Amino acid sequence: MKNTYVIKRIFYSLFVFVVVITLNFFIPRIGVVDPAERYYPPQGNMSEIEYEIIKQVTRKQYGFDVSTWQQYLNYLHGLSKGDLGKSFRPGSPAVIDLIVERLPWTLVLSVSTLLIGLIIGVMFGVVAATKRGRWQDTLLLNASTIMVAIPGFFIALMLSFYLGFELEVFPAYTDSNMVANFDWSLAAIRTVAYNAALPVLSMAVGSIIGHAQGTRNAVIAVTNEDFILTAKAKGLKQNTIRYKHILRNSMLPIVTSLGMSISGLIGGQVVIEQVFNWNGMGTLFLEANNTNDYPLMMGIMLLLSGFTILAILITDLVYVLLDPRVTVGDKR
Amino acid sequence: MKKKLPIHHGMARGIEKRLKNTGLFIKRIWSHKQGKIGLTMVGFLVVVAIFAPYIAPFNPYDVAERTTKGLPPSSKHLLGTTINTGQDIFSMLVYGTRVSLIVGVTSGICIAIVGSILGVAAGYIGGLVDSLVMRIVDIMLVIPTLPLVIVLTNVLGRDYWTIILIFVALGWTGLARTIRSLVLVLKNSNYVKAAELAGASRWHIMIRHILPGTSHLLIMSTALSSAGIMVAEAGLSFLGLGDPTAISWGKMLAEAQRGGALLFGAWWWILTPGIGIFLAVFSFMRLGIVMEEIMNPRMQRSSGVYKVFKNLNSAYVEEVFNSMDDYAKIGVTPAFEHGKGEVTHETGLKA
Amino acid sequence: MAKKLMLIIMMGIMVLCLTSCQNPGQIHRPNADTLYVGSVQASFPTAYMPWLSREGIAPTIAGMLYDSLFSYDEDTGNFVPSIGQEWYYVDQAGEPILTEDGSIDYARLEAVYSDPSHKYLAVKVIIHDNITWSDGKPLTVEDVYYSLDIATNNLLSNHAGALAWTSDLRHKYTNGVLTQRGLFTYEHGAREQGYEIAEEDKDTVIYLHVNKVLGSVMPLFTSVLILPKHIWEPVVTPQNQLNSAAPTEETLYRYRYPVGSGQFVLDTEESGSQQIVLRRRTDYHRTKEDGSPLYNIETIKYVLYQEINVAIYALLKGHIDVLDNSVSSNYLQLFEKEKDLFISNAPGTYIQTLVLNVNPVSSEQNPIRDLLSIKDFRRAIALAVNQEDLIKNVLNGAGIPASSGLMRSTLPDFYNPDADYLPIDYQARVAEANAILDTIVPDRDKDGYRLLNGERITFSILGSPGEQDCISYLEIQFQKIGIKVNYAAKGTQPESTYLYTSRFDMTLHGVSFSLSNIDIMYNAHFSALGRTSNYGRLVNRELDTLIENMRFTLNLNTKYDLIKAIQPILAEEYYKIPLYTSNVISVARTDRFIGYNIVEGSTVLNTSTLQNLKKSNVSR
Repeated sequence: MKNTYVIKRIFYSLFVFVVVITLNFFIPRIGVVDPAERYYPPQGNMSEIEYEIIKQVTRKQYGFDVSTWQQYLNYLHGLSKGDLGKSFRPGSPAVIDLIVERLPWTLVLSVSTLLIGLIIGVMFGVVAATKRGRWQDTLLLNASTIMVAIPGFFIALMLSFYLGFELEVFPAYTDSNMVANFDWSLAAIRTVAYNAALPVLSMAVGSIIGHAQGTRNAVIAVTNEDFILTAKAKGLKQNTIRYKHILRNSMLPIVTSLGMSISGLIGGQVVIEQVFNWNGMGTLFLEANNTNDYPLMMGIMLLLSGFTILAILITDLVYVLLDPRVTVGDKR
Repeated sequence: MKKKLPIHHGMARGIEKRLKNTGLFIKRIWSHKQGKIGLTMVGFLVVVAIFAPYIAPFNPYDVAERTTKGLPPSSKHLLGTTINTGQDIFSMLVYGTRVSLIVGVTSGICIAIVGSILGVAAGYIGGLVDSLVMRIVDIMLVIPTLPLVIVLTNVLGRDYWTIILIFVALGWTGLARTIRSLVLVLKNSNYVKAAELAGASRWHIMIRHILPGTSHLLIMSTALSSAGIMVAEAGLSFLGLGDPTAISWGKMLAEAQRGGALLFGAWWWILTPGIGIFLAVFSFMRLGIVMEEIMNPRMQRSSGVYKVFKNLNSAYVEEVFNSMDDYAKIGVTPAFEHGKGEVTHETGLKA
Repeated sequence: MAKKLMLIIMMGIMVLCLTSCQNPGQIHRPNADTLYVGSVQASFPTAYMPWLSREGIAPTIAGMLYDSLFSYDEDTGNFVPSIGQEWYYVDQAGEPILTEDGSIDYARLEAVYSDPSHKYLAVKVIIHDNITWSDGKPLTVEDVYYSLDIATNNLLSNHAGALAWTSDLRHKYTNGVLTQRGLFTYEHGAREQGYEIAEEDKDTVIYLHVNKVLGSVMPLFTSVLILPKHIWEPVVTPQNQLNSAAPTEETLYRYRYPVGSGQFVLDTEESGSQQIVLRRRTDYHRTKEDGSPLYNIETIKYVLYQEINVAIYALLKGHIDVLDNSVSSNYLQLFEKEKDLFISNAPGTYIQTLVLNVNPVSSEQNPIRDLLSIKDFRRAIALAVNQEDLIKNVLNGAGIPASSGLMRSTLPDFYNPDADYLPIDYQARVAEANAILDTIVPDRDKDGYRLLNGERITFSILGSPGEQDCISYLEIQFQKIGIKVNYAAKGTQPESTYLYTSRFDMTLHGVSFSLSNIDIMYNAHFSALGRTSNYGRLVNRELDTLIENMRFTLNLNTKYDLIKAIQPILAEEYYKIPLYTSNVISVARTDRFIGYNIVEGSTVLNTSTLQNLKKSNVSR
């Protein structure tokens, strides 16, 4: 039965993916998407006829000369070959090239935040869980309720102001040369770390508290389980119980949440990237939006959605396949 | 003649009673430990929003009242003036309450309406409707929200009603899922079964029995979604994609950053709208949690935070608690001893 | 407990790590011979289409990599040699029409070409013989021929008139076939036409036939960047045009590694999407009179910033030398506090105008917009504009009033003060405006706004977010005469979305007229209908005739007189109402380089600066 479930899940994911591709293709077309208009607004000194000819040629070069349905089919065809289309930028660079260029930079921020959040957060969470009801726990609770009310970009702005402008501990804005001068040398890496400090810090606070709260609740729930009681009765050491049984069992929801957060990982925090002028996927998307670069926008959205689908699929399958206690029921 | 069906189950009776006594309800919120804080703060914000013209010394929408740009705080301008337009920052802060509150609360209410209708329909009617709604939810879950909102504002326009529409269109999914799980439980309760046996129509049952059963969730969700939407709207305005003519806290932050507040050291311009956003979100959240705890005394305090996380924008945290929450709701302990979607019949409303 | 300890230790380590990164040891302006220029753009190009790079910084860079035949000096009214060395009109026999001191003899020109059946002017251009392309090959007149020829062949060049204006060149292709020849070189039809070119001159002489308009040579000399024939001819076909949206590999290579004859070469190794490095060519043919290089800078490095505040921060912190964008006057108080800064507060050359939709297409007409077709109504609106107020509030005083004739008052040869006949006293203006409007739309509602058939008269002014401030002040000014206006967002493609289709009430538009562009611009702004800058579709026969005459007269004096005569008539149309001329404010650091010059209408990084810049004596 599990195998049929796996197959069903995979097909379902494909179905969702196709629907997402379609939505992704048609939604921007509600507005005006004509590359010819974008390239050649003024007629200049040309006659109407010549102007029309040239616009037609441009449309042809971007594949806009056929009907919308045909464009859709061409788009699907391109996707199967891994081609996300050509951006409207001068020189028509391939969308996938632009994305690949910026993706690592976003990952630098996201992965750092994730690691810091996980490591410190889990530790805090366990501490809060074991000291349940005492000041550590209350502190965490208060911190979480306050943290969720503060928008992330506000923290980013305040950090940028105080640590960046006033105290000059870290740069308030990312150095433009950082990307261009990067050459894997130690100095370059240190520059990146130096510039990344504030963005990561802004995101890490929320991440730490989130993971801490999650871990705490998971640990508390698991601690109340019978099998833990059994382990205690058996006389196992405190630490063994803690790490071997409690933590391992409570990891599962954390892992699930990681899967879900993949799109956030890759898409990056758009607003925080903008505050610090960090050139990652987030700012790439904003650039595309500001210049009405539809192929680029669609490409990024598709990529993010695709990764999310993949992550959810994998998480679900890992769940089902690895945890022998879970039987297959209806989808939640 | 309206047929009044016999209401037997204590739980349903309890809910009806609570709903009838709204006055008592508010009193109960007040007497709750945290309720005082929540209610006061929300009340304060609402008062500020309504009486903004009287509280603010200047009218920031009135161009004639602009003055020297970039003034620091003084007795005349409590928070100084903006660098790029010379408007009084304190007045902008006060007027910003209106926009944030209106957008947040309206979206919250609309999300509650849409989410509840779809959730009840999916849960009760089941079958094709259920599949359809759940598929849509799955698809919307997958598409990243902020980029989608950005694309939609690009194609559909940027005035506030369009933005509210977009938020509602993207925000109903979480609530619908939760309501659906709840409805699946309610569906099997005795009084609903009795109503079905008595021959009541589907509509009747949905509206008069199931919907009231979810009422506490709805009210609480309105409060919490409003909080979430306020943050989202602030973020959108900050990116410059909100309504260009209205004054909102997010837009104040955007203008502060773009006008060079950081360069000029005008920290008050950045700090105050942020505090405003924080107060609004925090108070609505508090209110929502308090309301839930009142309606559901069995729910422990800590799990209130589940709801808090669930309803705000951070997707990953949402899913952490979702995975645990689903089990709590349907009475399955988080150690995954039962199947992932099975419902045990004895549980009450552990939502 | 152990866990807590671990926690503290870990945090300590991390904090240590981070703070040790504080001074990563990177010096921001490492190279002493490089001028670091910050530029605020959405993105930097990595490919340069010769004539279609119209976005962002691309035209500037293209202008440094390529040269045109001549450049125009506004102050003297002369053409400065670039690729071309000299030029003059010639008569039927090929003899130059020059005065004794070598300047153009306009009187004789008019006489020689007075016969109306003679449709063109003949121009002879002699280019320098010592120019080389950046790949070493010599530049000959065949390259000039190729460039001008392909510019007129739209099917091969796909340039859409964007950056190369050749409408007045009488050399035409129709659907890819040459239907009219107007370019003559030794190898291309000179002898047949009757122009004798000696063998030794075959690489330097070209004859052109242009329309009988004095200004027809201007765009040909200044806007057409000359391209290398040996680079482009092999690859350009109708399927793969010169400016192609989907270039082939070879064409893309040529975009990325441009070969030009300009003073700078693109350093493709160092350049990328975040920075552009230009290196001065040591073998550039033009030098200063004493033989020293024309520009004093060895290398220019453009650094991309996406937001103006970030760029200003970088400048203040010493990451860059120059910020090549104009900044808002709000920042002046910030700059004045810093030392080591050169602030260029240059008078501007653009006039910001309020454009009224005077003659919308029938599908876009409505009763309120119809009011704009009444000239007196427009006069009232023009009266209500208070330029001093706008300059004080919107520009913080960094600007000057603009003339209603839309000509810069700093060009005394052309500026006609008669165009500014409206009273100066603002009270009187408002009173007169109200008096006019009282005869057209006397009814007012309780807020004082005028009504038309019971409906409040409201106009939307299309503008970009930066123009919101100005529009807010216009709101107050128009409130005084009872007209309501509000801001409407322009969006990203305003021309196609609103302006060419008459879908607007009013909009803000910056215009700049001078002798170098007046032949094309007057027509495009006030006469021609269609996809032109005549957004409001003004139709005025008298004006059209004047513009036509101004364009076609061969008598320079008559031309100047007509330019003057046009201005009051423009003013009386109240079509593009002037609001102000904003100063161009830009800054540069003086700790490494000094010698920045202020040039009207430019940022601090202008040609004059580049020619005068030298290292400051204070070593870094």
